[in-house]
Amino acid sequence: MKILVVAEMQLGKLKPSNGAAVRFAQDLAAKTGGSFDIVLIGHGLADLAAGLNKYGAGALHVIDAPRFENYLPGSFCAAVVGLVQAEGYTAVIGGEATTSRDIFPRIAGALGAGMCKGVSAIVDAGGGVAYQRAVFSGMALRTERIHTPIHVLTVDPTAVGEPAEGPAGAVKAFAAPGGDDDSVKFVERRRAESGRPDLAVAERVVGAGRGIKSADYLETIGTLADKLGAAIGSTRAVVDAGWLPNEFQVGQTGKAIAPKLYLAIGISGAVQHSAGIRGAKTIVAINKDPEAPIFKIADVGIVADLFDVVPKLIEKI
Amino acid sequence: MKVLVTVKPVADPNTPPAAWIAAQQGKPTGEVNHVANYFDLIAVEQAIRLKDVGVDDICIVSITGDDKMAQVRSAIAMGANRAILIDPEGKALEWHQIAAALKHVVEQEQPAFVLMGKQATDDDASQVGSILAGMLGWPQATFVSEMEFNADRTRVKVGRETDEGVEVLDVKLPAVITCDLRLNEPRYATLPNLIKSKKAPLERFKFSELGIAADPQVTVEGFALPAGRSGECRMVKDADELVGVLKEMKLV
Ligand SMILES: Cc1cc2nc3c(=O)[nH]c(=O)nc-3n(C[C@H](O)[C@H](O)[C@H](O)COP(=O)(O)OP(=O)(O)OC[C@H]3O[C@@H](n4cnc5c(N)ncnc54)[C@H](O)[C@@H]3O)c2cc1C
Repeated sequence: MKILVVAEMQLGKLKPSNGAAVRFAQDLAAKTGGSFDIVLIGHGLADLAAGLNKYGAGALHVIDAPRFENYLPGSFCAAVVGLVQAEGYTAVIGGEATTSRDIFPRIAGALGAGMCKGVSAIVDAGGGVAYQRAVFSGMALRTERIHTPIHVLTVDPTAVGEPAEGPAGAVKAFAAPGGDDDSVKFVERRRAESGRPDLAVAERVVGAGRGIKSADYLETIGTLADKLGAAIGSTRAVVDAGWLPNEFQVGQTGKAIAPKLYLAIGISGAVQHSAGIRGAKTIVAINKDPEAPIFKIADVGIVADLFDVVPKLIEKI
Repeated sequence: MKVLVTVKPVADPNTPPAAWIAAQQGKPTGEVNHVANYFDLIAVEQAIRLKDVGVDDICIVSITGDDKMAQVRSAIAMGANRAILIDPEGKALEWHQIAAALKHVVEQEQPAFVLMGKQATDDDASQVGSILAGMLGWPQATFVSEMEFNADRTRVKVGRETDEGVEVLDVKLPAVITCDLRLNEPRYATLPNLIKSKKAPLERFKFSELGIAADPQVTVEGFALPAGRSGECRMVKDADELVGVLKEMKLV
């Protein structure tokens, strides 16, 4: 296959999920006897491009124009589709994230191509390849096969490893089709800066659930997180209550994470939350209810009052 | 303003995974109850709340067989005016086919905008909204948790829930808007409204009448249960022991 990896940016930096997309492209290229290129879209990309050009891609396409300063689905989709058609790619791959979740189906639709979202593995299928992905809140795995000439895929970063390093490819500027378009305008981004590690890739995550009772207790949770060098994550209940912003939500409809340590504090372990932590190496649960479902997926558990245990952890770690 | 709202009946999220898989493979199982996809109910609720900005025709669109009418009715009974049903004729349609069928309805109805759930809680794909927007050449706004129309209702300002916080976009209508959890809390249909919903006008199509390619772009080849986690949960009695175990596991 002739593969194009669509790299994503996050707040002016390369998004960590790009690594999984590149790794999947390397594996798919090896399996199908193909090659891969990478495209980066944005504005003022010169410094960032170098960070992507170390994985053995044949080419690194750079689409750089003021109108790509902020991600917008229509113009970014047109740019990717233009490049795919110009170069004749047969697979388009990105890392699973809110941006790719937004734009990849639009790209697939425009190319008349079938898409699989959040794939975790390549499966042999009668001379061709199929893809496995988690469905139904991560409680089942499904194998899907794409029958169109072009395959469009997003890759689950919690299931796929790091890319192998390789020589740099030729850097090529691509003049994307389309012009200014006022149908969607970027207005602003509202975001809380925490100074803590990025939840999506943190090695340790302290998860706060409704059991913490109020936003005030997040200060104590933060002290524990800082002792551990951890990011904070949370359940939907905590975000719905307005104690933390949406980007902290872990689960089926929030972020999927795969830290070495997930410390679930006052979290019941609903299937929708568990969907996001299945990739965690070790789950430690603190909950006062011995019947809480979180203990079914935890590796280490303590049935206790969190308001008693958390301060002791802060003191002893 | 006319609004189309999509509703997909899905398996109850609490269905045991093995039973869900069996049902997906067409094996008869008594264990699977269906509900309307929760994100779609958020979309229906939003349409109802937009009555005060001029929404006066809420049309539910569902691509589903007659056996799941109860789930569609529960959505109509929240406060929709009517529904369009597309019978898949027993076929498992994939996202592109679903989007193509919705496009057919959009072209017939010419709504001011389309509201959808951001994903279906069975296949978790969140594909149809963006495919549909692309097919129509319309702007899209996905994972929306805030909506505010301008005075002449030609544009809507939306807040989108992204990995990097809430992104605010100003979107020209008509557009496809997919709804996230924080947009609202869907109401329950009351019994009188459920009874009344039986009188709501229904228009029916068969998928095969719409002139959409019958061959799916993506097929399902099989299912598996994910490998379980390590198994037993090691229970500790107090904070001291917990810290000891974490140190032993080299986690702190
Ligand atoms: C369509 C849909 C999508 C969803 N998506 C997500 C998602 O992506 N992510 C997500 O997280 N949820 C999601 N949910 C919500 C999910 O179903 C649960 O409601 C939610 O995860 C519960 O959050 P919680 O564990 O914080 O709260 P609860 O379920 O209320 O649990 C609180 C826990 O704290 C414990 N506790 C209370 N006090 C103490 C104390 N003093 N000491 C110790 N323990 C204590 C209790 O025993 C309990 O187990 C979704 C729901 C729907 C319908």
